[in-house]
Amino acid sequence: MNIRWVFSLSLFFLAACASPNVAITDGGSQVQIRQIQTREYDTLNKRDTMRSVLATLQDLGFVIDNADYDLATISATKLQDYQIRMTVTVRERESKRLAVRASARFNQDPIEDPLAYQDFFAALDKAIFLTLHQVD
Amino acid sequence: MALRAFLLLPVLALAACETLPKDAFRLSESALETRAMQTREYTDVSDTAILSASTAVLQDMGYAIDEIEQPLGVLSASKRADATTGIKAFGSLARDGVRCIFTFLQACDGKHYSKLDDVQEIRLTLVSRPQLENEDDVAVRITIQRVIWDKKGRLSEQQTITDSEVYAAFFEKMSKAVFLEQEGV
Repeated sequence: MNIRWVFSLSLFFLAACASPNVAITDGGSQVQIRQIQTREYDTLNKRDTMRSVLATLQDLGFVIDNADYDLATISATKLQDYQIRMTVTVRERESKRLAVRASARFNQDPIEDPLAYQDFFAALDKAIFLTLHQVD
Repeated sequence: MALRAFLLLPVLALAACETLPKDAFRLSESALETRAMQTREYTDVSDTAILSASTAVLQDMGYAIDEIEQPLGVLSASKRADATTGIKAFGSLARDGVRCIFTFLQACDGKHYSKLDDVQEIRLTLVSRPQLENEDDVAVRITIQRVIWDKKGRLSEQQTITDSEVYAAFFEKMSKAVFLEQEGV
């Protein structure tokens, strides 16, 4: 009896973090996620913004898996005791504004915590500042 | 006993869904120092010449180029290499031998030896970045990571390399290659 209890209880707790089929299309509201993951910049051109993104990723200990200037997409991986995979895109908006969007996964899970993206964009702000002021 | 299991299991189950460390996207206090350690500047050289020189150096060191995006000056490369160290291997073999003898041949599964680091995959990114004012002054920055597997193919370690000597050694070779590139050798 005890063993059965322990077993079902542990299953219950495992279910709290497991998401089998739901994982394929789950996620919060698309608009909300995009808001969290996107910032607009108008300080640098596309190339120098992308270079600042590269510098930020390197600052944060990422290695670049993939970079495409035409499609303005950069993918990178960070290996610590954990693994973070990140994709950053830069899209041109009207009047020379650039929208930078970052999306990341931590081990098997998507990162949806607004604070994580705030930290990332704070680091990007610094890199853009350094680019503008020629400090390397 | 059952009560203890009750308390332990949920803790174990929750540990399975690890959370994102708070500092994962935060610049460390030493970020600028690290940046300086990973960066060298070269003058009077185009970023294309830097990428060619880097490719040559990486080939010298046995890397395969995974990705180059010239407009952004990005180059990523990787190689697999041996991760065993002689002394550790000898120590583990000795411990396994002693264990085997003292258990009267009951435990001769090479437990210590199988936990030894075996193979590592090293991945690096090099970004060459012309200065805004003078396109012929190029800052080159590399970041290096590695994953190590043990003798049984289990993940043993994954880390970003922070040893300044590794970067210094890399740039020493790099500087020679840039010189050769400039001289057209």
